[in-house]
Amino acid sequence: MSQDAKFSQILASSVHDLKNSLQTVRSLIRALALEQANSEKPEFQILDFETARMNSCVMQLLILYRLDASHFKPVLEECRVVEILEEVGYQQSLQIQLRQISLTVECSADLFCFCDDTLINTVLVSVVNNALRYCRQAIRLSGRQQGDFVCLCIEDDGPGFSSGIMEGIQGVKSCELEKGNTGLGLHFASTIAELHSQGQRSGFIAIDNESTLGGARFSLFLP
Amino acid sequence: MDLFDVSLDTLPSPFKLHQMKQSLKSKKVLIVEDQATMRKAIREMIYGFDMKLITEAANGSSAIAAMRKESFDIVLCDYNLGSGKNGQQVLEEARFRKLLPFYAVFIMVTAEQTQSMVLGAMDNKPDEYMTKPFNAEQLLNRIKRNISRKEYLGDIEKAIDSGNISLAIAQCDKKLLENNRLMHTHLLKLRAQLAIKIGDLKKATAIYQAVLEQSELNWATLGLGIIAYLQDDFSEAEAIFRKLIDDYPMMLEAFDWLAKTHEAQGDFAGAQNTLNEATALSPQAILRQQKLATMANMNGELTIAEKAYKTAIDLGKNSVHHSSGDFAGLAKIYSKTDAKSALKTLKDMRSLYFGNPEAELRAALLETEVFHQLADEESSVQAYQTAQKLSLELGNKAPTDLRLEMIKTSYLKGDDKAANKELEQLIKNHADDDHFMGDVRKVLNETGNAQQGEKLIARIKKELVEINNKGVDLFRQGNITEATQVFQKAATTMPENKTIMINMVKILLHDLKTNEVNKEKIQRIQTFINKASQFGVKKEKIEHLQAQLNNLSHKINSTASQE
Repeated sequence: MSQDAKFSQILASSVHDLKNSLQTVRSLIRALALEQANSEKPEFQILDFETARMNSCVMQLLILYRLDASHFKPVLEECRVVEILEEVGYQQSLQIQLRQISLTVECSADLFCFCDDTLINTVLVSVVNNALRYCRQAIRLSGRQQGDFVCLCIEDDGPGFSSGIMEGIQGVKSCELEKGNTGLGLHFASTIAELHSQGQRSGFIAIDNESTLGGARFSLFLP
Repeated sequence: MDLFDVSLDTLPSPFKLHQMKQSLKSKKVLIVEDQATMRKAIREMIYGFDMKLITEAANGSSAIAAMRKESFDIVLCDYNLGSGKNGQQVLEEARFRKLLPFYAVFIMVTAEQTQSMVLGAMDNKPDEYMTKPFNAEQLLNRIKRNISRKEYLGDIEKAIDSGNISLAIAQCDKKLLENNRLMHTHLLKLRAQLAIKIGDLKKATAIYQAVLEQSELNWATLGLGIIAYLQDDFSEAEAIFRKLIDDYPMMLEAFDWLAKTHEAQGDFAGAQNTLNEATALSPQAILRQQKLATMANMNGELTIAEKAYKTAIDLGKNSVHHSSGDFAGLAKIYSKTDAKSALKTLKDMRSLYFGNPEAELRAALLETEVFHQLADEESSVQAYQTAQKLSLELGNKAPTDLRLEMIKTSYLKGDDKAANKELEQLIKNHADDDHFMGDVRKVLNETGNAQQGEKLIARIKKELVEINNKGVDLFRQGNITEATQVFQKAATTMPENKTIMINMVKILLHDLKTNEVNKEKIQRIQTFINKASQFGVKKEKIEHLQAQLNNLSHKINSTASQE
């Protein structure tokens, strides 16, 4: 095995190990928060949020590593879009309650798509985590049919994406790194979107500041 | 056009989209979790959903004990249960022992987030996965979603559970007409599996192809591979399974089918390699380890066989599929090289399977061989006598491979009389099983009895053909009663013979169609069908006959209700 390959394998197993520790920590935080009558303490909220962010980051790294190490296709199933969106909402319910954010899901119950729902969930959770960081009080998850594609949207009422991010969707500028934007989330999202293909059509992502709530808008298009 | 016609209130909201017929209140829940704090947290969540009928288990064995005592609607089981059985083994045992009723929802709780990668390697799929940490909203959502799905599919699953496939198909077709978009693809998957069960490969192919035109769903591709296999189109089957493994490296079913395809083509080395790769992905699956051990043993790859037997023995400690055969297999490998380890393995086996005649017989047979190799002829003869006694006690209750093993040992001990007698019984019952007859010929060759054995086989086959022809002739002449008697007599002397069983069922069905129909006749046919299934007659053959019987008994039921 080459030195590089060996290193990346060690990196991957360390990340995996990190993920397990993190999940233990997260379980404990949840258990503690549940035990405390006044679980609205900002400390819990911050702990929960930051560990969720770390977890999401670690998950993305692991999946990207595995994609790199061996090719595999997403395991497609027919999914009801509203259920995918609701699940993301439920996962964030502690944050939403504690910070009194209004998170709405808007989607027709008749909208279906073919996707690997675990992978798509990881993408959406990471984007929602990001939205939680920047929003003031509202996040909107929505799904709709757009031509041949199903579009899943995450919008918020924050300041919107900076021009640096919007230009740098292919690569991250150093000034963004200093602000805590590694570009991982968007890179991951676009990788997973592209893996979802039907015939000639592949999935893709788009970001802009056209949110109906006034802030950032992330769109995931699935064929 | 505005597509946003459904909107949900701000979370956490009541869950409006999943309507269930029954409330959750009456549901019985089993929580299986080794950590007390986690168990408490889950219990409180469940309490909060107004479900008060909660049972808790701190480990796999108490979970199984609880399920044996009562039927649960919901089982929430942690994957990692410390020492003892893990969640996967609990699920495996519950399914194997039929402890989960058709309406039960089994939710596997795990700390792993990537189900397609880690949990994909599970052989027994739960109804649902939950990743820790999860909150009440997530849990309630999953419970409701699964319960309403089970409610919707209840009629079909119930029919499948009772073995009534034609009824299940009728229910499935009815539901498909309802055009429920949420369940449609799932129903199609189920319908195709049912079609394969009754050998309607054309229908199954049509379904899989239609599904694949919509999207590349891997189960539909797998289905086409299975159909190719069933049609003996092994090169096509192999190509499909290989492509699936390439695209979905964790898809264990594809590995298993590829191994089967290799085996069917006589490529035992290929089958072994495929099984070996699959066990590396999912080392916990005991049945596959056992299969690998047998295959490697057959191929003379003793190092691989030894490792697989050892793993199987280890996994057997917590698995419902533990088998004395694994100890016997390992001891057999040792018997050629390391008599001491062989005897030690047999000792372990005896203490674990104390009082189990099958295990005792396996041990005695191996001791006969090992002591012979150690030139301890006295102990060897003693072990042989024990084996003979056990073999007589067990009779035809012993598995056929073990009976053949006994015959081999008898020949080697020069006890030709006992060997010949038992061999005649075995051949009579299994003359139509080519695979088994291959094993018989191997034993005959190895013991220097090939010539004499071939004569015996030819004689018995001739007798069988004569009986069969006599019965069929009588049947054609319309003499149903005498034809039935001929087959009935044959069924008594050759109770395990599959051809006789099937012909018996066919004649009785004909009688039912042409003459008076009554409950006793139906019951008699059902008994033969159940026996045929028990003795391993191919599913496709049985299902076809079962469907005919169902139709006929349906007729008498409906005429009875008209009166």
